[in-house]
Amino acid sequence: MRAENYQAINHPPSHAFELNFGPNHPGIEGNYALQVKVEGDTVVQAHADGGYLHRGFEKLMEQRLWIQNIALVPRICVPDPSPMEVCYSMAVEQIADIEVPERAQWVRVLQLELSRIAAHLFTFGGHAATTGMYSPMFWGVADRDLILDLFEEFTGGRVYSIYNLPGGVRRELPEGFLQRVSKMMDYIESRLQDYDDLFFANRVFVRRAKGVGVLQQAEALEMGVTGPNLRATGLPFDVRRDDPYLVYEQLDFEVPVEEAGDAWARTLVRRAELVESLKIVRQVVKALPDIGGALRSEIPNPLAWNVPAGESYARVESSKGELGYYVVSDGGEKPWRVHVRGPSSMHAVQVLESLVTGGRIEDVAQTMFSLDACPPEVDR
Amino acid sequence: MSLDGFTPWLQALTQRIEGLVISGSDLEKRRTRIDLPADHLSSLLEAAKGEFGFVHLSAISCVDWIDVGEFELVYHLWSYEQNQLLSIHIRVPREPGRYQSVVDLYRPAGFFERDIHEMYGLYFEGALDMEKFILTEWNGPPPMRKEFDSEAFVEETFSWQEYNPQWLQEIVAAGGGVVTPPSQQRFSQRKGIEAPWGAEARRPLSDENTEDQR
Repeated sequence: MRAENYQAINHPPSHAFELNFGPNHPGIEGNYALQVKVEGDTVVQAHADGGYLHRGFEKLMEQRLWIQNIALVPRICVPDPSPMEVCYSMAVEQIADIEVPERAQWVRVLQLELSRIAAHLFTFGGHAATTGMYSPMFWGVADRDLILDLFEEFTGGRVYSIYNLPGGVRRELPEGFLQRVSKMMDYIESRLQDYDDLFFANRVFVRRAKGVGVLQQAEALEMGVTGPNLRATGLPFDVRRDDPYLVYEQLDFEVPVEEAGDAWARTLVRRAELVESLKIVRQVVKALPDIGGALRSEIPNPLAWNVPAGESYARVESSKGELGYYVVSDGGEKPWRVHVRGPSSMHAVQVLESLVTGGRIEDVAQTMFSLDACPPEVDR
Repeated sequence: MSLDGFTPWLQALTQRIEGLVISGSDLEKRRTRIDLPADHLSSLLEAAKGEFGFVHLSAISCVDWIDVGEFELVYHLWSYEQNQLLSIHIRVPREPGRYQSVVDLYRPAGFFERDIHEMYGLYFEGALDMEKFILTEWNGPPPMRKEFDSEAFVEETFSWQEYNPQWLQEIVAAGGGVVTPPSQQRFSQRKGIEAPWGAEARRPLSDENTEDQR
C-alpha cells in the first residue's frame, strides 16, 4: 500500500497492536507483506497482502509470440526459474503434438535438478538467517552461486536460462561440462557435513524450528499444499514419480518424507531431497554421453508459428511444489490464454495466514521461509 | 457412448451425472477431460471428492471466449489414490458474470476464485473473500478480459515524455544513438504507430546511416 493511501483505523482500546512484515523484509523471498496483529508476543491475526510483484505475465503472454514467452516465464519465480520454462514448453508441445528427442529430455532433467539444488541451498540460507544464524546464509548463497556458474556455462544465463524451446533445448553442452558438474556434485555433497554441523543438527536451530508452524496432513490436503511441505506431513507424493514427465520414470530416486509437519520437518525433507537430486544428476551425467540424437525436433518457423487450436495442462515438480501451466491456443500465433499455477499460491496465502496465527512474533519469518513461499509465483 | 475401457470411477461418474461428456481420456497419460453443463458441477465435485478420491484441486483456470460471450472455467482435480488428473470444463455466460463458489468443497478454490474475480470480474457466490488481493490499487476494468487492451489503456492514461537530455544530444550529434522507430521494428507491439518522442525528427533514418551502424 502506498503511504498516501494509508488510512488510520481507530481501534477500540486493547492490548493488541498491528505490525507490518514487509513488503520489504529480509525474512521474505521477494516483496510480500503480512499484516499481523499481536498481543504481547503472540500473533492473534494475520492477513497476507500480495501484489507487490505483479507484472501481469498472464496478460503479457497473450500479446507475445509463442516463442517470445520463453523469455518471459522464468521471471515468474526467481529462485527456481528453470521449471517454468520447461513446464511452458511441455504444455506447448502437448498442444502442437511435438515429440521431444530423448537427449533433450535428459538435458532438461539435468537443468531441472541443478535448479532444484540451487533453490534448496538458497532456502536453507534464508531459513537459517530467519533464526539468527548468518553463516549458513552466506554458505547457502555462496554454494548456490557455484551452481549458477555452471548454469552460465551451460545455458548462457546465470539465473534465467531461456534455454528451452518447444521441441527441445537450444544448444549442445559445452566440452567437458559433465565432468565439471560431477565435480560440483562431489563438492556439494562434501559440504553437507558442514551444513549438518552448523545448521541442520545445530541445537539452536532445532530448538527454534521444532514445533513451529505445524501443518497436519489432513489440513495440508485440504489446503491444496504440495511439494516438500506436503511430504513433511507424511504423504509421499511427488509429481516426478506419480505423474512422471520427461525421463523421470527411468531414474532411480526416493521420495523422502517426514511425519512432524513443522518447520524442522520441512527443512529435513528439503535436505533429503537435495541428496536425491545429487543422485539424479549423477545418473544423468553417467547416462548422457551414451544418448545420442538431436537436441530438438523440427518446429515450424517460430516467428510465424500458428500452434494448432487446443488446450493442455502440464505440470512439473518444482522445488516449491506442483507447478502447473494451463495453456489454450485458438490456432493463432500467440497464446489465447496461459494460466500459471504457482505452487506458492497455496502455501503463501491461506496456509501461511493460518500457521502464523497463534504462534509467536519471532517465528513469523521462519514459518514463511520454512514453507518456501515465493511471492512472484503468487502475484505473477 | 460406449463405456468400455473406462475405469470404474469414470463409468460411475458418467452414469450418475446428467449431461456429462467425456471429451478426451488418456488414462496412460493420466489425463481426462470432461465437459459438463454448469448446473451439475457441484454434484460432480461431490462425487469425485467423496467417492473417488479426487481430493486435490490443482487449479481453476478461467478462459475468456469473448466471441461467444462465455467464460470457460476449468477445474483441475487430482486423485492421490487413482493417480489421475480430471479436468472439468464448464461454460458460464459473461453477463451477468456470476457463478457458485466451490470453496466449501475445496479450500484452494478460495485463492483461485478471488483471482478470477479480480482478473475477469466473474463473481463467485458464497466465496470466502472476494476482496482484491493483487490489484489492490487498481480502479480500471478487470484486466484479463479480452476487451481490455493494455496498450490502448496506456495510450489513453499516460502521456509520452519528451526525453532529450544534453548527453544524448551530444551522442546524436557525434553520429551515434540511432533509434529504430517502433513503426520499423519487426516485432513491435506498436507497429504502425509513429514514434511520439520525435526520434525520426532528431535523426532521420537513411540507408547509409543504418548501414554504418551495422
